[in-house]
Amino acid sequence: MEVQKDARISAIDIAKHFGDKASGTLTPVLDGVSMNIQEGEFVVILGPSGCGKSTFLKILGGILPASSGKILIDGTDYGTQVPRELLKRFGFVFQNNNLLQWRTAAGNLKFMLETMRLKGEAWQGRVSEMLEVVGLQDYQDVYPHELSGGMRQRVGIARALVHDPDVLIMDQPMGALDAITRQMLTFELLDIWHKTQKTIIMVTNNVNEAIILGNRVFIFSQLPAKILQEIPIDIPFEERNHQVFSSPRFLELREKLNHHVRATLSLEEPA
Amino acid sequence: MKKKSIRKKKGIDWMSIIPPWILLAIIFAVWEIAAKTTGISEYILPPMSKIIHGVITKFPGELLPHFLLTVRVIVLGFIFATILGISLAAIFSQFNIITKAVTPVIIWLVITPMITLIPLMTLWLGYDPVLRTYVVILQATPIIALNTLNGFVNVDNDKVELAKSVGCTRMQRFTKIVFMNAMPQVFTGIKLGSIFSTIAALSADIVSGNAGLGFKISQFTKYNNVYMSYGTIFLVGLIGLTLYKIIERIERRVVLWKN
Ligand SMILES: Nc1ncnc2c1ncn2[C@@H]1O[C@H](COP(=O)(O)OP(=O)(O)O)[C@@H](O)[C@H]1O
Ligand SMILES: [Mg+2]
Repeated sequence: MEVQKDARISAIDIAKHFGDKASGTLTPVLDGVSMNIQEGEFVVILGPSGCGKSTFLKILGGILPASSGKILIDGTDYGTQVPRELLKRFGFVFQNNNLLQWRTAAGNLKFMLETMRLKGEAWQGRVSEMLEVVGLQDYQDVYPHELSGGMRQRVGIARALVHDPDVLIMDQPMGALDAITRQMLTFELLDIWHKTQKTIIMVTNNVNEAIILGNRVFIFSQLPAKILQEIPIDIPFEERNHQVFSSPRFLELREKLNHHVRATLSLEEPA
Repeated sequence: MKKKSIRKKKGIDWMSIIPPWILLAIIFAVWEIAAKTTGISEYILPPMSKIIHGVITKFPGELLPHFLLTVRVIVLGFIFATILGISLAAIFSQFNIITKAVTPVIIWLVITPMITLIPLMTLWLGYDPVLRTYVVILQATPIIALNTLNGFVNVDNDKVELAKSVGCTRMQRFTKIVFMNAMPQVFTGIKLGSIFSTIAALSADIVSGNAGLGFKISQFTKYNNVYMSYGTIFLVGLIGLTLYKIIERIERRVVLWKN
């Protein structure tokens, strides 16, 4: 795939395997995944479980190196591993919130500022600011075990925003939530994206979420993951509200996405 | 409505204080009745009232210096062992291969009764009360190191990934993730260490002779002063229990979260 010169992030031919041939444990997980992501875009990845979605996000977020391929950020080629100095520009929301249970909500946000050595009042101020963005301004001093699942997930999102990254990477941020909380948080995320203008890459297993949030949806194949489809979501931001579920365009897109998702579950690739 | 942190209630938690005292009272009562009614010889089962009375009357004069010596040996040895055990675990945990190599050795040291070294140590170091503190350090350090090391090397992969996602340095990863994550195991190690310290100090008294509560116990037994032997044994238990409770208090202040 071609690198787009103006892309914020380009992932080109990313392949990843775990284990090695010698011990017979070689597992190819990603098989040449490429995408160009523009600044301010909301990209959604859909795919069957265990296909390598999290692995792909971890490579983009500098947690894992790729086995081959290259990652470009603002046009600079960093090879297979995003370097440490650049990690400040990313915020990572983990699949199971991954909060530090020994720190309060505010403490979890401060963890980011401490490790990234972001000092001063302005940064400290962002702690309560970001908790306010996710509606938890009154829960600053509460430990994760005292919060509900939805609240924990929100702290996870606030934590990924507190150091003001350019890019937000979210791995099934609403995975473990009940349907109602999930839909509420989906619209909150849309709002956060609109307000903060971040570039967002999100994995989900929910087609509705993909349509409400995404500018483009990528559908991954089964293990080892390849991109099967890239589907633009042409619903304007103003129309993405609770009424959208009954709009013809939404239903059409949902049908289309569902069709492709179903296709990944059979062994053959869709025609 | 403001939501405040749900801290543990201030005030006293009677439900965890009263039951042990009631049980203790029952044990003492049953003991007393058994001693008085079964006709078992006083040399085997002296009445509890006599034991308690004996300890209280002899404590200020006869027992106090020995009590102070033993307490000092326990506390000093325990503090050094805690620092040493945690530091060693921190160093070992930095290298996978060292962790693997030292773990069986640490277990071996945990099992070894260090008082068996006292005759040897006396040969090298001569008679010296500090010897007993060394014995305590030797006995308590391995159990503290073992638990702590266990905590340091078993970190959730998720937490390691969080550290990677923010580009933590090695030091940050240790202080902000590994150490905090291991805090409950560290405290388990320290609590076990307090028990090991008490046992080691008492045994060291017995082997070394001359002074200390352990020495007094063997002396009382030698002169058939059975109720004082029992009483002094209880006194030692009280020291260990107090130390354990103090650490538990500290733990409750520090570990405010649930895993
Ligand atoms: N650290 C690892 N070592 C070995 N295999 C791994 C590792 N991480 C993930 N895998 C394997 O890679 C595959 C993809 O995992 P993942 O990216 O988590 O999938 P998804 O997020 O799409 O459910 C799975 O088969 C998983 O078992
Ligand atoms: Mg996953």
